Amino acid sequence: MNIATQPPKPARRGLRGLDTNTRWLLSLVGILAGELLYFNLAVSSFWGGGWGSSNSLLGYGEYFLFTSMMSLGVMFVIFAGDIDLSVGAMSGFAGVMMAEFHLGGMNIWLAVVLSVLLCAVIGLIQGLIITFFKLESLLVTLAGWFILQSAAVAWEGPVPPYNLPSGFESALGTGTIAGTVPNQLIVFTVLAVLATLIVHRSRFGRQLVLVGHNRDAAAYAGVRVSVTRIRAFVLSATFAAIAGMCVAATYGTARDDLGPTLLLPAITAVVLGGVDIFGGAGLVPGVILASFILGWLTPGLLQDGVSDTWTSIAIGILLLGSLTVKGMSDRNQGTTLRERLRARLGSDPPSLPPTPANTT
Amino acid sequence: MTGISPSLGPTPAGPASDRQRVSASRRLLRQREPLLVVLTLAVFLVTFAVNSGFGTSGNISFLLADAMPLAILAVGQTIVCIVRGIDLSVASILGVAAVSTGFLAQDHNASVWLMLPLALAIGTCLGLVNGLFVVFARIPPIIVTLGTLIVYQGIQLLICGSQTVVTVPTSYITLGNRNLFSDIPYMLVPGLVVTVVMAIVLRRTSWGRSLYAVGSNADAAFRAGIRVNAVLVSAYTVCGMLAGLGGLAFLVHYDSANGQSGIETNIQLWSIAAALIGGTTLTGGKGGVVGSFIAALFLEVTIEAVIVLGVPQVWDSAAVGILLLAAILADRYQTSGISLRQALAGPFHRGPQFGHEHGTGRRR
Repeated sequence: MNIATQPPKPARRGLRGLDTNTRWLLSLVGILAGELLYFNLAVSSFWGGGWGSSNSLLGYGEYFLFTSMMSLGVMFVIFAGDIDLSVGAMSGFAGVMMAEFHLGGMNIWLAVVLSVLLCAVIGLIQGLIITFFKLESLLVTLAGWFILQSAAVAWEGPVPPYNLPSGFESALGTGTIAGTVPNQLIVFTVLAVLATLIVHRSRFGRQLVLVGHNRDAAAYAGVRVSVTRIRAFVLSATFAAIAGMCVAATYGTARDDLGPTLLLPAITAVVLGGVDIFGGAGLVPGVILASFILGWLTPGLLQDGVSDTWTSIAIGILLLGSLTVKGMSDRNQGTTLRERLRARLGSDPPSLPPTPANTT
Repeated sequence: MTGISPSLGPTPAGPASDRQRVSASRRLLRQREPLLVVLTLAVFLVTFAVNSGFGTSGNISFLLADAMPLAILAVGQTIVCIVRGIDLSVASILGVAAVSTGFLAQDHNASVWLMLPLALAIGTCLGLVNGLFVVFARIPPIIVTLGTLIVYQGIQLLICGSQTVVTVPTSYITLGNRNLFSDIPYMLVPGLVVTVVMAIVLRRTSWGRSLYAVGSNADAAFRAGIRVNAVLVSAYTVCGMLAGLGGLAFLVHYDSANGQSGIETNIQLWSIAAALIGGTTLTGGKGGVVGSFIAALFLEVTIEAVIVLGVPQVWDSAAVGILLLAAILADRYQTSGISLRQALAGPFHRGPQFGHEHGTGRRR
């Protein structure tokens, strides 16, 4: 996975011998375990009505699983060294489009499939604009956000569509299998397995990571850089649209403003999951774990009596704090404390600030 | 490229050779600021022709005043963009400053002149935190400010509790909505002062020049003896300070503030859009605050024009999106010495390549 061009180091035992990604994954497992342990022991209502109810470990999923799906989508784009700010608005637009198709008389499932496909086309267009004109993905997708949001508001009209069929709401929203496993969890699991296979087990995935790590190297190695980046944008838009379907089904309505609020949590999960924001490094399971850590943190802290506000502050601090720690541990990888002290106190030149040349 | 002489041959199109062969009017429009002024006036005049109410003095002073919070934010954003950064947290800094000063004004009838240093101080502190994280934790700016956007937003909500600022003293309303003389609103004063001061500072002081040096090439700037870390921290601090001022401007203009002020209109994204439309780039080392100021006015006029021209208001953010795309395309055109047709032809145009993009795709 880690294709950094570091010279081989003598093998070390224990945690120091593992590569950065794996160590980060283990830390995430630890954080998740600690979080669940704390909530189980300290917050008696966290388990609420046991497995089956909506007030339990699995039931909380309906508050965050759509965000996790969005994270998986943005992850592809971030792996390729780009960013996609349009996913939030995309999911809102997809929901509105689906609902309006349905109100226009279309079968609900046909409407779902058609909206997801159309959103994939919008992602394709964004990717084409970015690679064809060689523009910054941040700006193009920002413009895409604005345009999609306007389109969603205009299309839904003064009264956002509601009254979606109960079969649809239960299938993608609040329904469960055998009263225990939420349907959304099944959808998420399928997407997560798919994403893991795409990134870590496919030819496209390897090209994606290489493109994110070093575009020049990828181009000289014969990878079609633009095509790979465009594919990432298509995947991102598709996942966002699927997330939008789940949002619409969960809330029973399709609204333009439900999507964009999910963008920041989604990107937070990707970054906390250990994917390098400059692309080219990371593990998909990390993103999955991070999205669950963030997802359970909110209901857990709320049950613990912490206010909504403090919960969001905690998420922000968690993001910054964990990245600070990760950055330090990455830079210090393979060195001992004594070596670091000697480097710092010795006659070596002070380290430069991060620039594209020396961040990785 | 149309007027290229054969003897120049394959000379790469640089700014120097550009200057020799394009006409004076072309040259003027190649700069972003005159182009934006022309565009703003064009939009204004077209709308005025359709609906003469658009040109009344009341509306002009409203447009000027309404654009100021965004303009002040855009000036700060420009400074961060010049050092190759980005600041998403300005929306929350604006919000924190607006609610803290707003509650003091509402509950204790505090004077605006006392609130001004407070708003600046709040912004400075929050911006300093951004800068310290960017430099010393070495987290990419977009992630740092995403995190602090969330944290500061939480602080804003904590300050508010369940209350909102709904009534402010009359002096605030006067400052935010009345005119200094004829069509010039009081609000224009802070916006203009900030822009002019920052424009001079960026051009004439060593700090201002070092911002460009760090943004162009941090390694080279370091080797040239510039204290890169200090420059970076100061850029974020100044941006935060201006966002704090923007918060006070927001308060006096809208006479209200609540836990969602700033972030609910995604003003951080608008400020980035204004900076980029104004000719600053995300890749650093380029741009200026005058362009951002004019771009903020341009956005304001365009949005109001869209409404006056009868397009439903929901399309105003789409208009900004399209303008943003147009601006970054125009940036390619203006900076690379190629013709508009070549810029639109993308990779298919025959002629000098505008930049080998593969290597520069990595943001920081």
